[in-house]
Amino acid sequence: MLSDDHVNEIIIEKLIASLIPMTSRDRIKAIRNQPRTMEEKRNLSKGGLTIMTESEGRAKARLTWKIVDKEKSKQTHRILQLNCCVQCLNSISRAYRRSKNSLSEILNSISLWQKTLKIIGGKFGTSVLSYFNFLRWLLKFNIFSFIVNFSFIIIPQFAVAEKNTLQFTGLELFTGVVTGITGLCHQVQLIFLFLVEMGFCILVSAFSSMAKYFRDNFINPHIYSGGITKLIFCWDFTVTHEKAVKLKQKNLSTEIRENLSELRQENAKLTFKQQLTRFSAYVMAWVVSTGVAIACCAAVYYLAEYNLEFLKTHSNPGAVLLLPFVVSCINLAVPCIYSMFRLVERYEMPRHEVYILLIRNIFLKISIIGILCYYWLNNVALSGEECWETLIGQDIYRLLLMDFVFSLADSFLGEFLRRIIGMQLITSLGLPEFDIARNVLELIYAQTLVWIGIFFCPLLPLIQMIMLFIMFYAKNISLMMNFQPPSKAWRASQMMTFFILLLFFPSFTGVLCTLAITIWRLKPSADCGPFRGLPFFIHSIYSWIDTLSTRPGYLWVVWIYRNLIGSVHFFFILTLIVLIITYLYWQITEGRKIMIRLLHEQIINEGKDKMFLIEKLIKLQDMEKKANPSSLVLESREVEQQDALHLGERDGSLDLRFRRSVQEGNPRA
Amino acid sequence: MGNKQTVFTHEQLEAYQDCTFFTRKEIMRLFYRYQDLAPQLVPLDYTTCPDVKVPYELIGSMPELKDNPFRQRIAQVFSEDGDGHMTLDNFLDMFSVMSEMAPRDLKAYYAFKIYDFNDDDYICAWDLEQTVTKLTRGELSAEEVSLVCEKVLDEADGDHDGRLSLEDFQNMILRAPDFLSTFHIRI
Repeated sequence: MLSDDHVNEIIIEKLIASLIPMTSRDRIKAIRNQPRTMEEKRNLSKGGLTIMTESEGRAKARLTWKIVDKEKSKQTHRILQLNCCVQCLNSISRAYRRSKNSLSEILNSISLWQKTLKIIGGKFGTSVLSYFNFLRWLLKFNIFSFIVNFSFIIIPQFAVAEKNTLQFTGLELFTGVVTGITGLCHQVQLIFLFLVEMGFCILVSAFSSMAKYFRDNFINPHIYSGGITKLIFCWDFTVTHEKAVKLKQKNLSTEIRENLSELRQENAKLTFKQQLTRFSAYVMAWVVSTGVAIACCAAVYYLAEYNLEFLKTHSNPGAVLLLPFVVSCINLAVPCIYSMFRLVERYEMPRHEVYILLIRNIFLKISIIGILCYYWLNNVALSGEECWETLIGQDIYRLLLMDFVFSLADSFLGEFLRRIIGMQLITSLGLPEFDIARNVLELIYAQTLVWIGIFFCPLLPLIQMIMLFIMFYAKNISLMMNFQPPSKAWRASQMMTFFILLLFFPSFTGVLCTLAITIWRLKPSADCGPFRGLPFFIHSIYSWIDTLSTRPGYLWVVWIYRNLIGSVHFFFILTLIVLIITYLYWQITEGRKIMIRLLHEQIINEGKDKMFLIEKLIKLQDMEKKANPSSLVLESREVEQQDALHLGERDGSLDLRFRRSVQEGNPRA
Repeated sequence: MGNKQTVFTHEQLEAYQDCTFFTRKEIMRLFYRYQDLAPQLVPLDYTTCPDVKVPYELIGSMPELKDNPFRQRIAQVFSEDGDGHMTLDNFLDMFSVMSEMAPRDLKAYYAFKIYDFNDDDYICAWDLEQTVTKLTRGELSAEEVSLVCEKVLDEADGDHDGRLSLEDFQNMILRAPDFLSTFHIRI
C-alpha cells in the first residue's frame, strides 16, 4: 500500500519531470501557479529536492536548475551550433523582460487614484468601481490623444502662425486660436493621424477586451440558469467596510429569497388575458418612448435651424447658448420619463428592465447626436458661411461645456436634494443607489462629441481631460455623501467590456461615418483652416500622392496607395480571409462544445461506476462477514486505507494528468 | 529602493519574487504590514529565517480582513498548522493568491479549500450550510438555508455523489466570470 508521503513524492517527481523541458521563465511561472506552500515552492524553484519521509528516510539527489539549464544549453549548442545567435537572442529577451518589469513597476507607481478606487471598491463593491475605472480609462485615452495631437498637429501650426481674422469671445478662445491659424505645411498628416490614431487605439483596446469578454462568457456550452450557486460562491472579497459588508449580507439574503420564490413560481402561467395586457403595455411603452425620442430630435433640429437664422441677423452672446441648454435639458429630463415607464410595464426579470431602459437611453442619445451631425453637415457646412469648421467646433465645445455644467449641478444639487428627500421627507425611499448605466452613458455621450469635434477643433481632448478630472472628484464626493451601495448584484466583470463595446459600436462607427462624409463630400471653407481652397478635404491626399509620385524614392508609397488602399480587390480578398478564419474558429468552438458535453457525461458515468463498485464491495464484505467473522477487522482496515488513498490522491490537487498517472500506478480494488 | 533594505538577503528576496506574484517593492511593503501587526514579535531582520508566527487574532484584525465573513477560514487555509497563526511565508502566500495577478485555477483551488469547512476535500451539505449562514448572517430561516443548499447541490454536482468535488467547483467557477474580480483582496 502506498502511503500519503510516497504518493506526494511521486507527484512532485512528475512535476519536476514536466518542469525540466521548460525555459526558466515558463518554469518560474509554472511554479508560481502551483497550489503549494511557500516552503515547497521555494524548494522547487531552488531545485533542491530532499524529501525525507519519516517512515522510509529516503533522500533524493539534489538537482539544481542551473545544472539542468547548463545541460540543456550544451545540448542546444551541440544541436544548433549557433552559439552566439542563441546567446544574443537570450540576452535580448532577458533585457526586454527586465525593461518590461521596470516599466510596469513605474506605471503602477504613477497609477492615478489607486487609493481612492480602493476605498470606493471597499464601500460600494465592484460594480460601482467599474464606472470609476471606466472614467480613468477614458482619461488616460484622452491624455494620450491630446499628446499625439499636440505634438504632431498643433506645434507645427504654431510654428507657422499667422494673424487670425476671426472675432471671438472669451469662451471661443480655444476654437478660435486653433482653427484660425493657417498655413500648415503638413496638412496631410492631419487626416492620416486623426484616422490612424483614433482608430488604432480604440480598435486595439476594444477588440482585445471584446475578445476576452466573448471568450469568458460565450465559450461555455451551458447557459447558466438559476444563479444561486454563483451568489453563494462569488462573495465579493473586495468589500472591506463594516457597514457595506452588513448591507451586502442583507442584500444577498434578499436576493436569495427572491431566487427561491422565483423557483417556486416558475411554473405559474399567465392567462391569455394577462399576457395580452402585458404585451400591449410593452408595445405602448415602446411606441411612446420612440415617439418622445423622435419628437425631441425634431425639436432640436428646428431649434438649431431657427437659431442659425436668428444669429445671422442678431448677435446675442446669450442666444448661442440656447441650443446646448435645450439639448442638456432633454438629456436630463427624458431618461427620468423613461424610468417612469417602469410603473406601467412589468418584467419577469429585473435584469430585463435594466437592459430595456439602457437601450432606450442609448437610442435617445444617439439620435440626438445623429440629428446634430446631420444639421452641422447639411446646414452649416453648406450654408456658405466662411469658416464653417470653426462654427461647428464652437458648437461642439459649447455643447460639451453645458453638458459638463449640468452634470456638476446634478451631482452637487440634484443628488443632494434626492438624499434630503429620501432621508427626511419620504423615509421609505432611503438613500438612492448609484445609477451606473446612466452615468456611463453620459461619459460615452461626451466622448462621442469629443471625437466628432477633434477634426474641427484639435484641442478638445485637453478640455475633455480637464472635465473628466474634475468629474471624478465631483462624482466621488457625491457618491460618498449621498448614496448607498447597490442592492442587486451586477455582473461587474462584464460591465467594463460592455461599456467599451458600447463606446465602440454606436459611437465610434458613427463618428467614423461623420468624418468620412466630411472628408469625402464636403467642401472646405474658402478662407480659413489648413484645407482652404481645396474642392474636397480628400484632395489634400490626392495632391500629396501626386507630389510623391514625382519623387523616385517614394514610389513604393504610391504603389501601396494605388494598389492596396485604392483598389477594391484588396479589401475583398481581405474580407474573405477574415471570414474564413472566423468560420474556422467557430467550427473549432463548436467541436469543443461537443467535447465538453461528452466529457461531462463521462464524468457522470464514472461517478455511477464508482457507486456501483462500492456497493458491490459492501455486498461482498457482508457475505464474507456472515461466512467468516474473524477476518472482518483486517478487511475493514484495508477498505479504509483504500478510501484514504483515494483521498490522498485528491489532496494537493494538481493537474488531472498527475492524478490519473498515479492512479494507474496503483493496484485498483 | 535599490539594495538598501537589510531585512532579507538577496537570495531570499529573489525567492519570494519567484514564488509570489509580487514585485520587490510590494514584498517589502507587505513585510512592513506584517511587522506592524505585531511589532514586538516580528524581528526586523529575516536573514536568519526566524520562526515567528503572528497569532490569528492579530491577522483577523487587519482592515482588509476584519469584516470579511470568511476571515477565519482564510487564515486557517493559509496557515501552516491550520490554526490561523501565520508566518511571513503564509502571509505572503495568502495575499499573493488573493491578488489580481493570480490565475483562475489557483484561486479556484484555494476558494474550494476555504469553503470546505471540515477539510475533507469535498464541499458537503454541512459545509454549504456553514457558508450560507456566514454569508447571510442569520437572516435566512433554517428551512430556507437547507433549500438553498439543496439547490446548489442540484446545480453544481456533476457526478451526483451528493457533494461538490474540486472538479465540480472549478467547473462551476468557469461559468462565473465574476469570480476573478470578486475573489480578490487589495492590499
